Amino acid sequence: MYFPLFIVLTSLSTYLCFVKEDDVQDHCDLLKQWLESSTVSVELNKLGFHREVTATVELRPDVLSGVSVLLVSRWPSGVYVDPYQLASLRDQSDWQILLDSAIDLEAPAHKASGFLTYVYTTNIAPTSTLQKVTIPVHGRYHEPSFAGETFTSVYVEPPELLLRSEKCTHLNRLEPHAVVDAPCTASNSSMCSWVKTHHPQEPSAVSFQLPVGDGSAVALVCGGTLLVTVICCVALSKSTLKHRIR
Amino acid sequence: METFLSKLTEKRVLFTSSLVVRLVLVAYGDYQDRNMAVKYTDIDYQVFTDAARFVTQGESPYSRSTYRYTPLLAWLLTPNIYLSLLFGKILFIVCDVLSGVLIHKILRLRGLSCKAAGQISSLWLLNPLPVGVSSRGNAESILAALVLGVLLCKEAGHLVWAAVLYGLSVHMKIYPITFGLPIALSLRTLQEGKGGRAWKTSVAFIRSFLNRELLIFTSVAGGVFLLLTALFYFTYGWEFLHETYLYHLTRRDIRHNFSPYFYMLYLTADGRWSFGLGLAAFLPQLVLLMAASWAFHRDLAFACFLNTAVFVSFNKVCTSQVR
Repeated sequence: MYFPLFIVLTSLSTYLCFVKEDDVQDHCDLLKQWLESSTVSVELNKLGFHREVTATVELRPDVLSGVSVLLVSRWPSGVYVDPYQLASLRDQSDWQILLDSAIDLEAPAHKASGFLTYVYTTNIAPTSTLQKVTIPVHGRYHEPSFAGETFTSVYVEPPELLLRSEKCTHLNRLEPHAVVDAPCTASNSSMCSWVKTHHPQEPSAVSFQLPVGDGSAVALVCGGTLLVTVICCVALSKSTLKHRIR
Repeated sequence: METFLSKLTEKRVLFTSSLVVRLVLVAYGDYQDRNMAVKYTDIDYQVFTDAARFVTQGESPYSRSTYRYTPLLAWLLTPNIYLSLLFGKILFIVCDVLSGVLIHKILRLRGLSCKAAGQISSLWLLNPLPVGVSSRGNAESILAALVLGVLLCKEAGHLVWAAVLYGLSVHMKIYPITFGLPIALSLRTLQEGKGGRAWKTSVAFIRSFLNRELLIFTSVAGGVFLLLTALFYFTYGWEFLHETYLYHLTRRDIRHNFSPYFYMLYLTADGRWSFGLGLAAFLPQLVLLMAASWAFHRDLAFACFLNTAVFVSFNKVCTSQVR
């Protein structure tokens, strides 16, 4: 009497298992498609020391649900982001940012170190395949040049696009895309495995120029500055004492 | 027009209208901050507020980087977190109007007519610069009110109160320490008779500083300053001393700097003579502070004004907030 029931249950569970496996396979395939056809580009806006870096991510062909998108940027020591400014932008933006280290807002470029930012897009609108992330960055003062250069270049690399899906667990199926560890969310409470998009031709970096001082003029500048301040000091002292209230 | 101006400089009308103007600007600033890309509020106001938030969480205000003020300011601004973000700005504009009231009172004590005092204090009260600065959330108006309080108490003969306020103002920001010189000179005993040998006059000059008034002023002001410093040193440790005082002494800020020494300090930032040049830049400042204090200590307010002007123009760090 139990035998038919056993048969039914067994076949049902096998069927369910199969369906689940199939679903995972589908999801991984979609993720792979995304990894292969998505592109990241970067552009610089504004002028001077205070710039805006806009990274544009195009996700193709259509939007997957349950996929997390992470942009990892490697910044040179010539720029910094202001964590407090980023915190004030949090309410207006649909992304969250995590920094890998504390940032010295005042150090010059040659005494600062580069850093990483992790940008998590919080809500992917189902209608839009285009994600834009704008981060305000600030140029650091650079060491004076002794070679007669008046400007130095700072290169901003485009971010790496990392994807993760709860449904696709067999990340090794996604060859040749590399699997890397990165924080799961902007709260930095746990690490997850992410798949990095691999593009044969990397998009090129953008650069901007910052003015640097002329190190060869140091004696002239010091002499001139001290001379002018001493002359001003003597002239002001003389006139102060002349008009003194007795 | 004439009657309008005379009405406006009438004491009560002047004080009320200048407070109203500032309140309107605070309200407008809130609107601009919400709706425009360029913010009205001073970037330092965010720093104060963040530091006050750390204080409410039981942490040190120095957890906020670039907070380089006394913890007293962060404590004062904790209602920014509990009540409203506008609390600090209201406090600053009230101090700003109070400064105008104190200017009026000082001028009246000096024997000016109510009309003249009103006209002169309106140069502060209706001046777009202090109006803008305080309504943008700059804490400088607290210091202005404290320093003017010192001058008023001194003028009115309340020496102990002057000393208390002076100790507090030096604690809030170190630059009023430069007013110590003209204050000390104005408190010394006036010398009778002139001439004599050089060593005799110099001994007499030093002796003229040893009197009761100066002793009271120094001990009360020093006591208030040391008490507050000790209190915050035991609460927040070395970080407080470094961020509030020592940082300003050794500061080599080469970012957005309007000081005449800017390019020199930038070029020599890592050089061997960096320290010596910093010292050389300090000398003209010291000479001028002494000259102005000596020449004008009989008009204490003017001497303090000149000392501030000298201190700012010859300073190694001179920045402006435009962001």
